[in-house]
Amino acid sequence: MFEKTLIPVAYGERPEEVKKAGRLLKSLGARSVCLYHVNEPGSFFSGADLSWLTLLSEELEETGLVVEIKTGEGHIASTIAETALLEGVDGIYLKAKRRWHIETMLLGSISQDLLRLADVPVFVHKARPRLSDDGTEPDSSDLRILYATDLDEASARLLPYVMEFQGAWCHVLHIRGRMADPITERARREAVDGELQAVAEELRPYYERVTIEARIGNPASEVLHVSNQIEADIVALGRKSPAFLSAPMGAIAERIVIGSRASIFLVPQPGGRNAS
Amino acid sequence: MLREYLRREAVFLLSAGIILLFIGFGIARPNLLDSASSAVHAAILDNFSWLYLISAFFFLVFVLALAFSRYGTIKLGRDTDKPQYGFFGWVAMLFATGMGIGLLFWGVSEPLVHFLQPPPFIEAASPDAAAFAMRYAFFHWGIHPWAIYSIVGLAVAYFSFRRGMPGLISSCFYPILGEGIYGPAGKMVDVLAVFATVFGTATSLGFGALQIHSGLTHLYGISSAISVTIGIVVIATALFMASAILGVEKGVQVLSKFNIVLAVALLLAILTLGPAPYILNVFTSALGGYVNNIIDLSLQSYPFAGFEWSRDWTVFYWAWWISWSPFVGLFIARISRGRTIREFVLTVLTIPTLFTLVWFAIFGGSALHLELDRGANLAAVAGEDVSLALFAFLEYYPFAGLLSIAAIFILLVFFVTSADSATVVLGSLTSGGGLAVPVYKKVVWGLSLSTVAIVLLITGGLSSLQAMAILSAFPFMLVMIALCYTLAIGLSQENV
Repeated sequence: MFEKTLIPVAYGERPEEVKKAGRLLKSLGARSVCLYHVNEPGSFFSGADLSWLTLLSEELEETGLVVEIKTGEGHIASTIAETALLEGVDGIYLKAKRRWHIETMLLGSISQDLLRLADVPVFVHKARPRLSDDGTEPDSSDLRILYATDLDEASARLLPYVMEFQGAWCHVLHIRGRMADPITERARREAVDGELQAVAEELRPYYERVTIEARIGNPASEVLHVSNQIEADIVALGRKSPAFLSAPMGAIAERIVIGSRASIFLVPQPGGRNAS
Repeated sequence: MLREYLRREAVFLLSAGIILLFIGFGIARPNLLDSASSAVHAAILDNFSWLYLISAFFFLVFVLALAFSRYGTIKLGRDTDKPQYGFFGWVAMLFATGMGIGLLFWGVSEPLVHFLQPPPFIEAASPDAAAFAMRYAFFHWGIHPWAIYSIVGLAVAYFSFRRGMPGLISSCFYPILGEGIYGPAGKMVDVLAVFATVFGTATSLGFGALQIHSGLTHLYGISSAISVTIGIVVIATALFMASAILGVEKGVQVLSKFNIVLAVALLLAILTLGPAPYILNVFTSALGGYVNNIIDLSLQSYPFAGFEWSRDWTVFYWAWWISWSPFVGLFIARISRGRTIREFVLTVLTIPTLFTLVWFAIFGGSALHLELDRGANLAAVAGEDVSLALFAFLEYYPFAGLLSIAAIFILLVFFVTSADSATVVLGSLTSGGGLAVPVYKKVVWGLSLSTVAIVLLITGGLSSLQAMAILSAFPFMLVMIALCYTLAIGLSQENV
């Protein structure tokens, strides 16, 4: 899943944090990592000494990963997304960083942009799963995964990745709008329950515990609610083009990444870059 | 058992209880009621005039968008349902729906009042004021009221005929409330629909009673005391209550059809006895001005000069139409089963509108002709007392006495038939959407309508009637905006 992973890094990155990320990625099957640094055009740091990047690379190599370094220039999220595609990485790992609140409101965060732009799976690391400071490798079999599924093509593409996490608990969550009348609503509920059961059956060999839940409401807020309720470590979801009317509010994933304490693992639809 | 009754009849008990409180308050403290309703009315107008304008325009755009979109082919019923009424029968019913007290009350007086008292940027009593008056009369009585009714009609027809829900406004909220439509939120929606209907209809009944009284005073010199107006309401109430209680609905229907024929005859009489080519020119040019400026008119609140004019007229009308929308919407929904959304919208927006515009061109155009070319002093009469303008206008025609008596008769029958229909609609809204309404509910709603009209006439007359229409429409306007949303959700789930 993360065999070759791109990690965007910026000046001032703390080596021990990058090392912790490396341990997590290794526990998730990573073998090599591409440390990637992007400067915005005209940035104060353009042309600055990049020895800090070499230092990070050396720290990361101590975890047993093969590390290469790359740099680029341009709009940060777009350049990362492009490079990930060109380098043929399996995924992008990003530690969520806080911008000033007003700045996030106006411009969005880099992780939000990346979730919107990337054509490879993106892992945005938030407060959970917690990474230990004592140097021990995290145990992926402890992970609680919240698999948010629409039961459509985008979610089906996500299923093999969810299987690969092989954590302790997978909670399969389906959120939808209510149907327009009670009879159709009942029929839809029964159909959804059946489909969720089938998904759960597919996941059972990979998890100690698999549960399902169907909810009605706003996808972003329901995912956040359930994620907090079960204290999920990772929220896994597929990305699809937002509907025209919801576009100004951003895609569901972008809204979830702001409020979630769990990490976000997002798999884009193939060829969906322009559509997103 | 009592709990079950309270649960089942919550909408009836709550709405009837609050209206009873309103009536009691109005009788005990009429001045306080007047000042309280005036304060709320002023607050709504000061702060939300723009919302009425934007909402009405949005409703028009929304129904047209539905009609011309792929959803236009969706039937208001099962796919196999055929229209219950033939096309001409259906159109005739829509045509009849467009008729009522308002046409007689405002047909002459509105263009005349606009002519005499336009906004400050137009010279009063000038040819420009006449063109402005006709354009605004067309605008207020044109396509917007029918777009407003269409929203409720479409939503109720779609959710009840195609989705199998009860014929209630609350049923349309299933996509967002779910089973909550049977709980307090759903009941509140139906109570708001009842309020809007009671006050909207009471406003029309009040107008009708005022005008019948003015006609009788004009013809026979009867006292102009408010007690006479109240007496007229009481007599008309006795008539429609008798119809409701004795179950002579068939008789009322025959009377209603006869009345429509009589109203059309009055219209044709004014056209043929008056300057027909002039009237047709007024119709054509006013229609041109209306169509050409419809977007500007729709969103124009004249914030720099004439804001009060816009508030007093356009906002009042939009509120009045909104308050009528549960009543008219439920009726046009009921007769439109099996029609497609496109058929429904395009027919509802055109047939009654066209008739209303012709009515205003004939009555308003003739009145302006008398005013501008024959030196009549009608505008001043309308400026003094809008309910008297029709009878002063008829004085200029042959058989004026006969025409005035016919107008009074038409008004009285419209009063009876409107109140009768409103009683049935209110009964249905408070009986889970069923058509079998118990007699006691008809009695309660019939008496409520008339008593509310009397209370409003006592507390402030015409201005109180208008204020309460605006007040009761405000929450229902929000309900209607939500209806557009739920309808969009329902339609988005269709495979088209």
